[in-house]
Amino acid sequence: MNATPLLSGRGLTKDYPMGAERVHALRGVDVDVYPGDFLALRGPSGSGKTTLINLLGLLDMPDKGTLLLEGRDTATLSENERADTRRDRFGFVFQSFNLIPVLTAAENVAYPMLLKPQPRRPSATAPGVALPPASMQLWRAALASILSAKAEPPGDMQARAVDLLAAVGLAGKEHVRPDLLSGGQRQRVAIARALANHPAVIFADEPTASLDSRTADTILDLMKQLNQERGVAFVLSTHDPRVVERAARIIALHDGAIEEGAI
Amino acid sequence: MNRLTIAWRNITRNHRRSLLTGGIVAFGFASFALAGGFMAQSFDGLRDNAIRSGLGHVQFADARAFDQSEETTLQFGIGQTGKAMQVLRADTAVEVVMPRVEFYGLVSAGGRSLPFAGIGVDPEAEARGSNIPRSVHQGQWLDAKDRGVVIGGGLAKALNARLGSSVTLLATTSDGTLNAIDATVRGIADISIKELSERYLALPLPLAQELLSAPDTVSRISVILKEPAREPETAARLVEQLKQSGVTLGVKIWRELAVFYQQVRMLYLAIFGFMGAVLLVVVFLSTANATLMSVTERTREIGTLRALGARPRRITSSFILEGALLGLASSVAGTVLSLLITFAINISNIEMPPPPGSVKGFIISVQIIPSAYLAAATAMMITLALASFFPARRAARAPIVESLAHV
Repeated sequence: MNATPLLSGRGLTKDYPMGAERVHALRGVDVDVYPGDFLALRGPSGSGKTTLINLLGLLDMPDKGTLLLEGRDTATLSENERADTRRDRFGFVFQSFNLIPVLTAAENVAYPMLLKPQPRRPSATAPGVALPPASMQLWRAALASILSAKAEPPGDMQARAVDLLAAVGLAGKEHVRPDLLSGGQRQRVAIARALANHPAVIFADEPTASLDSRTADTILDLMKQLNQERGVAFVLSTHDPRVVERAARIIALHDGAIEEGAI
Repeated sequence: MNRLTIAWRNITRNHRRSLLTGGIVAFGFASFALAGGFMAQSFDGLRDNAIRSGLGHVQFADARAFDQSEETTLQFGIGQTGKAMQVLRADTAVEVVMPRVEFYGLVSAGGRSLPFAGIGVDPEAEARGSNIPRSVHQGQWLDAKDRGVVIGGGLAKALNARLGSSVTLLATTSDGTLNAIDATVRGIADISIKELSERYLALPLPLAQELLSAPDTVSRISVILKEPAREPETAARLVEQLKQSGVTLGVKIWRELAVFYQQVRMLYLAIFGFMGAVLLVVVFLSTANATLMSVTERTREIGTLRALGARPRRITSSFILEGALLGLASSVAGTVLSLLITFAINISNIEMPPPPGSVKGFIISVQIIPSAYLAAATAMMITLALASFFPARRAARAPIVESLAHV
């Protein structure tokens, strides 16, 4: 690919303590993720797929190596900036769906939107009238956060959540809670949630591992469709050959190192 | 969907645990509110008792009498009593004016002589403004036209005196000589404080003034007001009116004179504060385990929320909100529980044993004090919020990958 990479990792290394020893989960991996990519990380259990996804998704920090996000070194990001980046630029799909059980399907999809800061409303204060003290404004903001916590007008959020659910084939399931959905439906909700804030890339860690064969095919087709229609990049970790069949590029990992180049 | 809704759903997702935690908080709340109500009732009873046992809402006397002890009888007595009484009675805020002469003497009956603490009063005014006439359980209260006296039950027993018994009262007059008068026991009072019961002797004001050879002189003038809440303003106005009439007197509000009331109040507040603190610690420890379990069970959910972009502070604040909300809901349940228990206690007429220094028990009663309820609810909300804060903060700061891998 000739495009500028969205994410560029060089020499990514990660060790984990296991008892008195350290396990080398990643040993100096180089990887690029491009806009609109459909990248599969393939390899057996323990090869470092999940670790690499965690590093690329800013869920974890490498022990060595650099990871650039659109040219910026992610090591310089604060904890809050990393959280904001995950919220605004990334989406996540987990093997066991990880939906919030007390929220309906639509609320699960809308949740990442709620995490966005409330846009400032134009001030209604007349010229020359003093604003409340900063402390008062903070209290008001905190109270508003508790009582509404809406990043967008509720109608817009709701409408977008409904649209996303429809896009993943779950029209009419907006008010259903996760425990009443099938595994495939839950994963669709998770995909819709990952799309909530218009991400540049969605990380999916073993997205088909908890699904039956037919549902897995459907979910993978859906991901491919979203990748092509919306231009959102997908990075999937898997040892499912069906994922590999659909991938634009494949990185094979073995014992924490790249075994084979991109296809 | 707002954070309150989400918090409430999280509270109700584990009914049994939330009910258990809420039950602990509700009982804690009820303990707090009931203790506050009982204490307030006790304060009211003590205050009323102090005011109606002769202090009045405000008391007028020679300014020196409030700070110094008399070396001779009526050394600091108020002369021109009639003029002062006239001014006080004319004020619309005044309900009852009770002039009093206080002195010490010896009472003799049937060959036995005992010291007494004498009080000369206006029988009719006392009947309206104090509880003392109601303490007469044998015979009758004083009559201004009669030479009868009322003595404490303890004194009657010590003198072996009965209704109608003749007694001789001996006292030092205001000019230092001894004087004696004869009187009849007209009534025997049931005084709850044992020491006072053994010394108490009340007689009509004219008879006391005759004994002390001090006509138109009293020790103090106690005043019962129609609107007790405005004591300081009324007292200041009355002092000014007396001054304009040529009578200069000092004045004290009952609180300044009721030393026993203040001591008991401070003691109660200290006990209540200590018990309240212990109660909050118990509630904190009891609920901390439940909140820790709740946070631990949701570790993977916390990891998911952080992966989605929630900042640690937001996650911690969500758990704090859940704690506070559970505290609020439990306080509502505690309010209902408290009201039911209050009602049950107040209709049960449960008699308590006599307090220290008293010979008479009392019926337990509990007031409904909104401020105590509000304080209890606030304390419970803060306690639960704190119990949620520590485990939530730790979980929110844990590495995301560890939280996501939590089973």
